[in-house]
Amino acid sequence: MYKAVVIGGSAGSFQVITRILNSLPKNYPLPVLLSLHRLKHVRSGFVEALSIKSAIEVTEPFDKDTIKPGKAYLAPSNYHMYIELNKKIALSTEEPVNHSRPSIDLTFETAAQAYRDKLVGIILSGANRDGAFGLKKVKQLGGLTIVQDPNECQVKTMTEASLKLTQVDHIFTTQQIINFLLSLK
Amino acid sequence: MVLTDQEVNYFVSTIKGASLYDFSEYSEKSLKRRLQKILLDNNMDLLALINKIKTNKIFLEQIVRDITVNTTELFRDPLIWQTLKYRILPKFSENKNINIWHAGCSTGQEVYSMMILLNELNLLDKAKIFASDLNTEALDAAKKGVYKYRFNIGYLDNFDKVIKENPFNYDEYNDVSYEKYFKIDKISDSIIMNDFLKKIPIFRQHDLVKGENLFFAKFDLILCRNVIIYFKYSLQNKVFKLFYDHLYTNGYLVLGMHETMLGEIASRFDKKGQAYRKK
Repeated sequence: MYKAVVIGGSAGSFQVITRILNSLPKNYPLPVLLSLHRLKHVRSGFVEALSIKSAIEVTEPFDKDTIKPGKAYLAPSNYHMYIELNKKIALSTEEPVNHSRPSIDLTFETAAQAYRDKLVGIILSGANRDGAFGLKKVKQLGGLTIVQDPNECQVKTMTEASLKLTQVDHIFTTQQIINFLLSLK
Repeated sequence: MVLTDQEVNYFVSTIKGASLYDFSEYSEKSLKRRLQKILLDNNMDLLALINKIKTNKIFLEQIVRDITVNTTELFRDPLIWQTLKYRILPKFSENKNINIWHAGCSTGQEVYSMMILLNELNLLDKAKIFASDLNTEALDAAKKGVYKYRFNIGYLDNFDKVIKENPFNYDEYNDVSYEKYFKIDKISDSIIMNDFLKKIPIFRQHDLVKGENLFFAKFDLILCRNVIIYFKYSLQNKVFKLFYDHLYTNGYLVLGMHETMLGEIASRFDKKGQAYRKK
């Protein structure tokens, strides 16, 4: 019933993302869209690090790539990643939003418009408020909203900002997020 | 403020009716975002904006400039510049002239990057550098060659990676001083390109949508980076065809890190990374 998962994270989310990706089976039926902040000078190597133990393919997409199930799409460093209504990736080098490029808000908002009630949006650990507005959009357009349990987060700012703005559907630990994603098979 | 697709189309057709600009083949998501930002910045609703566009030519030109995205860097994506340095530019070393077109050069950082690299390879004397953009304000900034220093401190890292270091041989280190090419003025917080570089390029306003080559030259190398991501597939192909027609055989087209050429036209190039060689 769900058609896509979109995940946003910043400081403290790398290990969580790695655990999630490593838990998904090769033929996972949904695409996973990742919008993660990273240090500006660490431009390469991130996708390789995420891929090491992941059964699903992790890529930094090209502009206009068609989104396919069973693959993870990581917003490339220094680009915003939008989801077009025809389920293709659109990249942009527009100015950073809230000091962030990629902007989690923009990926979430456009994914929400493309997938509406068929989208699962997940916000993880992070040190700023990016993503809170995007998660609200996911909720408004009928999608399912999940926030990582702030007590488990290395940095709580992002999850707390999201919880303040939106009555989310679930507050989950990493293990609960994984169990939920696996139940979507 | 959320605009509908119909509202964006209304804006596009108004611009088309009132000027020679045509945004109908721009990709929807970015265009919509830019338009929303313009409405916000001008504190206007769409109807007010459209009325002003229809009656005020200067305002229309300003809106057209604001629609375009103008983010670029000195030696953006060092990997691509290393490819140019070691693999592509040396192929032209026996040429009498090297014609280079920066299509969609924005504020010009990559135009200066290219000239610096050419000079280090002792090829700058034979190079003819052409640079174009739709946005005349961006072109004016490119001609000035003055950039914010602190905001762009990463420029220096990129410079070091491309000009000083050799990724294939870590023992090699060319201690080229920044002052050879630009002055860093910390008081005015700026990087100022040296005059000898500023005099070289020919800058022109140019709209890729028109499908023309206004320099009346053929090119050995065309750089068009992070421009076609704002175009729909149909317009991308039109632009690739334009580049193909005006490249010499064995000339190169270099795209942005996450741009790719699709469709029939791709078979007329040999692709290695982001560099496409015309067969």
